[in-house]
Amino acid sequence: MTASSDPAVLLVAIDAALVVVGALCVLCSYRVIRGPTVADRVVALDAIATNVVAIAVLFALRTDRGLFVTISLVLAIIGFIATVAVAKFVDRGEVIQ
Amino acid sequence: MRTTARVVVPIVLVVALSLLLEGHNLPGGGFIAGVLTTTAFALLYLAFGLDFLERGVLGREVESGKAPSRDRVVVAYRRLFAAGLAIAVGSALVPLFFGVPFLSQTYVVLEGVPIYGHVELASAVVFDLGVYCVVVGGLLTILSAVGAE
Repeated sequence: MTASSDPAVLLVAIDAALVVVGALCVLCSYRVIRGPTVADRVVALDAIATNVVAIAVLFALRTDRGLFVTISLVLAIIGFIATVAVAKFVDRGEVIQ
Repeated sequence: MRTTARVVVPIVLVVALSLLLEGHNLPGGGFIAGVLTTTAFALLYLAFGLDFLERGVLGREVESGKAPSRDRVVVAYRRLFAAGLAIAVGSALVPLFFGVPFLSQTYVVLEGVPIYGHVELASAVVFDLGVYCVVVGGLLTILSAVGAE
C-alpha cells in the first residue's frame, strides 16, 4: 500500500492517463468525422464527453484542486441529457412530443 | 427512460441547488445552477412529454394538442424571467442607498447556527438568485416554445 500512496507513482500514473485519454479523444474525433452512420457519430461524441469528464477529474487529482470535480459533475449531467435527446431523436424522429 | 428520469431529475436539482448556494465563494453560481435546473426540466419534457407539468404535476385539466395546452406554464416562465430580472437589478441597486458603488457585495458570518455551526451569509446570493430565475425562465420559455413546434 505504500507504493499506491506514493506521490511520484501517482503523478506518473495521472500523467500517463491524461495522455491516454487525450489520444482517445483524437481517435474518437476520427469516428465523429468519418462515421458512416449517425449512430456512430453520436456514440463517438458521447465517448468524447465522457473523456472530457475523465480529463477534468484527472486534472483535479493532478493539481489538487477540488473545483474541477464540480466541473466534471456538470459536464457529465449535460452530456447525459444530450445523449438522451439525440437517442430519442434518432429513435422517434422528434425530441419532445 | 421514465424510470431513469425519476431517479436523475432529483439528483440534478440537488446539484443545481448546491451550486446556487455555494456560488459566492466556490465555483458555481446563478447561471450554471439555472442551466442545470433547465436540464432537469428538459429531461422531464423528454421523458414525459410537453403536457406533463400541467397535467401530471400541477393537476390542471388541459386539452391535448400542442399550442394552447402549454400557455399557462409558459406565462409562468415569463413571469419568472421578469421577477428574476427585477431581483437582480434590485439587489444591484441596494448598495447605492448605503453610499457604496453599484453592485457592491458584502457578507455576514453567523456563528452558532445549529448543525452547520459556521455560516457565511453573503449578499451575492440575492443577485445569484436573480440570475438563476432569469436563466431558468428564459431557457424554459425557449425550450417549451421550440418543443411545441
